[in-house]
Amino acid sequence: MHRIELKVNGIHVHHDVGDNQRLIDFLRDDLRLTGTKEGCSVGECGACTVIVDGKAVCSCLLLAAQCDGAEIVTVEALRHDKVGQRLQAAFVRHGGVQCGFCTPGVLMSAKALLDSTPQPTDAQINDALEGNLCRCTGYAPIIKSIKAVLKPA
Amino acid sequence: METATVGSEVPRTDGMAKVKGLAVYGDDIVMKDMLYGVCRYADIAAGRIDTLDLSEAEKVPGVVRIATWQDIPGEKQIGVVIPDYPPIVDREIAFRGDVVAVVAAESYEAACLAAEKIKISYTPWTPITSVQEAISPGARLIHSDRDNNIINHHHTVKGDIEAGFAASTHIFEREYSVGFQEHAYIEPESITTCYDDNEQIMTVYGSIQNAHRVRGFVAKYLGLPQSKVNVRRSILGGSFGGKDDIIDHLACRSALMTWLTSRPVKMTYNREQSMRESYKRHPYIMKYKIGLDDEARIQAMKIDVLADGGSYAGQTVFVTWRSSVQAAGPYNIPNVRVDVTGVYTNNNYTSAYRGFGAPQVIFANESLIDEVADALGLSPVELRRRNALRQGDTSMAGQVFTEHTVSALEVLEKATSSAEFEEKRQYYARLNAQGGPLRYGIGLALSHRGCSLGAEGLDASSALIQINADASVNISTSVSENGQGLQTTMSMIAAEAFGIGLENVMFSEPDTAMIADGGSTVASRGTLMGGQAILSAANKLKRRMAQAISEKLAVENEEDLVWENGKVFNRRHPYNRLSFQEVANMTRATGANLSAYGWHVAPSIHWDEEKGTGSPYFTWVYGCQIADIIVDTRTGKISINHATAAHDVGKVINKVGFEGQVSGGIAQGMVGYGMLEEFNIEHGEVKSENFDTYLLPTIKDIPPITIIPVENHDKAGPFGAKVLGEPVLELGAAALNNAVSFAMGKRNYALPLTLEQVKLGHPLKKPVRQSELLAESAEKKQVLRLNTLALTRARSLEEALFLLREDPQRRVIAGGTDVLVQARLNVAPVPLVDISGIKALKTITSQPDGNIRIGSGVCFSDLTSHELIAPHYPLLVTACNTIGSLQLRNRATVGGNIVNAAPCADSVPPLIIYDAQVELQRHGAAPRSMPLSDFITGGYKTQLEPGELLTAILLPPPQRHPGLQQRYLQLGRRNALNITRQSFTGQFVVNESGLLTFCRIVDGALFSHPQRLIALEKCLTGRQLNAALIQEGATLLKQMLEEAIGKRWSAPYKVPAGVEMFTQLLEEVLANKSR
Repeated sequence: MHRIELKVNGIHVHHDVGDNQRLIDFLRDDLRLTGTKEGCSVGECGACTVIVDGKAVCSCLLLAAQCDGAEIVTVEALRHDKVGQRLQAAFVRHGGVQCGFCTPGVLMSAKALLDSTPQPTDAQINDALEGNLCRCTGYAPIIKSIKAVLKPA
Repeated sequence: METATVGSEVPRTDGMAKVKGLAVYGDDIVMKDMLYGVCRYADIAAGRIDTLDLSEAEKVPGVVRIATWQDIPGEKQIGVVIPDYPPIVDREIAFRGDVVAVVAAESYEAACLAAEKIKISYTPWTPITSVQEAISPGARLIHSDRDNNIINHHHTVKGDIEAGFAASTHIFEREYSVGFQEHAYIEPESITTCYDDNEQIMTVYGSIQNAHRVRGFVAKYLGLPQSKVNVRRSILGGSFGGKDDIIDHLACRSALMTWLTSRPVKMTYNREQSMRESYKRHPYIMKYKIGLDDEARIQAMKIDVLADGGSYAGQTVFVTWRSSVQAAGPYNIPNVRVDVTGVYTNNNYTSAYRGFGAPQVIFANESLIDEVADALGLSPVELRRRNALRQGDTSMAGQVFTEHTVSALEVLEKATSSAEFEEKRQYYARLNAQGGPLRYGIGLALSHRGCSLGAEGLDASSALIQINADASVNISTSVSENGQGLQTTMSMIAAEAFGIGLENVMFSEPDTAMIADGGSTVASRGTLMGGQAILSAANKLKRRMAQAISEKLAVENEEDLVWENGKVFNRRHPYNRLSFQEVANMTRATGANLSAYGWHVAPSIHWDEEKGTGSPYFTWVYGCQIADIIVDTRTGKISINHATAAHDVGKVINKVGFEGQVSGGIAQGMVGYGMLEEFNIEHGEVKSENFDTYLLPTIKDIPPITIIPVENHDKAGPFGAKVLGEPVLELGAAALNNAVSFAMGKRNYALPLTLEQVKLGHPLKKPVRQSELLAESAEKKQVLRLNTLALTRARSLEEALFLLREDPQRRVIAGGTDVLVQARLNVAPVPLVDISGIKALKTITSQPDGNIRIGSGVCFSDLTSHELIAPHYPLLVTACNTIGSLQLRNRATVGGNIVNAAPCADSVPPLIIYDAQVELQRHGAAPRSMPLSDFITGGYKTQLEPGELLTAILLPPPQRHPGLQQRYLQLGRRNALNITRQSFTGQFVVNESGLLTFCRIVDGALFSHPQRLIALEKCLTGRQLNAALIQEGATLLKQMLEEAIGKRWSAPYKVPAGVEMFTQLLEEVLANKSR
């Protein structure tokens, strides 16, 4: 057991976590933040993407114990911030979401990008989303959704 | 028809819950007193169980119940067509995904542990993995209770095939083959079962495509009436036809565990379990023979197909039937004979997958048509134009096409003119004639598809509508939301019918206990059949409302009523209008029922199975897709520059949904099925168990797409709409193949178009012996997961070094992107020291001696963006940016990449070129350092000693040679998320007189580990850089490669591709020497 102290979606959390517990297990099982999804467990699909200290990472490849002191943002927090709300609305309007299982991860990658680069180029959008597999949309509607929240150039 | 809501662009009605992370998917369900269920899989792909010992497993603390064959109270075998599937097997093992026992335990880990402690001994049989072997005389029976290994056979007959060939002056015979395709829904399977607290009936939740089918099978399996089983679907994370049979089986197992324990049970698969057990798209071997006359009119087509049905029948009977009535394509052919045979093997069983027997035959048929056009000196468009079905023609299956608009020519013309097909083809032919390594291609495919189930069985669907007191509307259908946007489409159709705003309609997912079975949400029939059921209910309600308001609006004929913008009026007296609310109130006041049940039965069709002729589907759609590509002949890599898709869907209901389906279909069909997705199974053992080996298209693999909707109103569909989901997937691979074949000037007969398939004309696979596989599987966990870690967190470097000395068995974890992936496989304990919190290892500093010191714990995204690195070490930046994905680069560390020492480690070649040193520290000893090139001694081998930690990488100041060219060439199968197949990293100076005065070349993933190719550098340095020297270097490299890796299975590809990449590298240096 490891005692960790961290901030999840702006809230301070103290918790004991096991040696084998990954960040995704901690979020889904202990905090019941089930918006974050598990698709492959090996960092290939990106459905479990969350933001740790400002960076998009796969929560399946990070032990909860390694997150002591970290600041973590999950999809559940998106509705509390402007960029998040605009992304949510755009994904619904422009077809960026279909089955929705990859969507939390896609949204977190998009948010991490827009937080650091408010006006990304097409190439930067592709770079930010290269680790998020989507089987439904063929990606074009996702790109369209992200572009819809950018200010017109 | 004028429509207000239908045809517009609306946001998804179920979207908000999904983007907020609140939508409840199968695995999100947690219940009080819930147990976790885990399957114990067979260890072999074929054989007989001799003994099954549960004793050790039952002792695992937390285990509540282990179920085997004996525990099943009802029918022990189920199946959509043939009841041959045992959700828990008795004795015979037919494939590696067979389940021998199911464990239910208080925790997931206890269930996994117990599954591993179930001891089984077998008499193994040699798996039969090819259809030819399975049907050869005397072949072992896959199922001992059957007479042979044939699942089924269908045939289609039109005209006189012999007479057709006799009348032909041009006859071609070709054979095509395609492999498995995995659905790869991103959500793995999940089922939760419980007794409903209130009703005390078996209730099933989860990722279920077809709720009524699950209900039927669970009832049979438990021996319950269907009324005592209720299925409530969770939000479904993708299906594509895939969460059908497998979910039936999983639901049976979970319900059994609930039955046996009286407690809720959840069973969720991880990706490996999903890939191992789930069914795939059928591999086909297809023999085509075509005869044409001198006017290039097709006179005869004879087709023989062998379909690998795998271990169980699944829906092979239906899948192969669709193939048998579509295999000759949308052409007017007087004489046709098609034979399709489904065969049992010990591979994964195969069943429904978006396209359902069409993508395979379209690939063969359209590839053949293209080749024939070429041989006859016609353009591919012209040959299709001459032969395509026209209004009133008789299809290959004998159906006279009078009841729908036959738009084969229309989609062909629209797609080819938009893509400038003929012009580009001529232009590309001229470009290709000039030679050079890049070849250009454009290819098309044309298809027709029968809508809905066809003669598979009864085709009917149900819907419920209720109009509430405030005139808001609730709707439900038995066809279901699988992520495709069905709720939105159904809501739009209801809103349109009543002339009200979409915001007034609410779709609710009905339990099976609440609505009649309206058939599965398959065969792209959701919009068509569900929409008609909605209209059936809406029309009943409108009739009742019309009666109630007939006096007020002076209605003589119901048809005169107009329902629009929330108002109802008589078109003969348009100034007298009632609001929808008023109409509802008036109707209710009459005592009429404002809820209605809709039921729609598809128009009648017939199929004579004996004669192989009939009218298989009541309506058809047509599509044409075009791929515009470049092939790099040096490596076989395809770049799709553009795709065009023209599809006749009758009527576009929701523009956003329409475009999303087309784009997703091209990703799965053209890109995935066409060139990336290769499900590797050897001797029945699944080798592609996860997305690191089964490659899906990424965002960087998708071309821009021109989407052309074609709308020919169809009387059989809601507002004229037909179907879309499958037609957009099924022809992309054929179009891609035609483009690649054109570019290469060489026909290709198999999918997927991997690097090897394109370059060599055949796939390359690592040969594996069955004995090796058995040995491997014995060491494998039943459930891959993290359960053996013992983690100690180091707060300082000093502490980390101490911990490593204290127990030299300890391994280091930093980013975890390699360690945790490997630890999931480990059966033995993995003691770890976590160094990720040590700040001292995460800095990049400039040293007084001019060196740059990179802490080993620096992650790649920090490395490549750092001001001391980015401007000065371009090769390092470029190479490291190709590692995995951004998420991985945000965690993976440079130290980890080096210590892991994979031959394909992307940071190593540039670090070697820049003369990097590694710094190694050990507790209580002085640090030592050595060149990185010495540190890595072989594949996954380094000089790191037990107890030692790689603490830093020291980079000397960059080379400042004037005119220095720095080049990096990397090859991966995809454009992102790659494991590097091979790479070259190089530094070169060509002086004013053209001499190559400085030359460093490091390979990646070619030799055993990345290294400077000294012999090659020596051969080149100091000499005039020209074509002759490049050739000399290439010859030397070829020798070196043949010596080092010539005997490997991969050599036939790696050696030539490696040599040609080297040539490309040097040619680029030569071309840029003046700059």
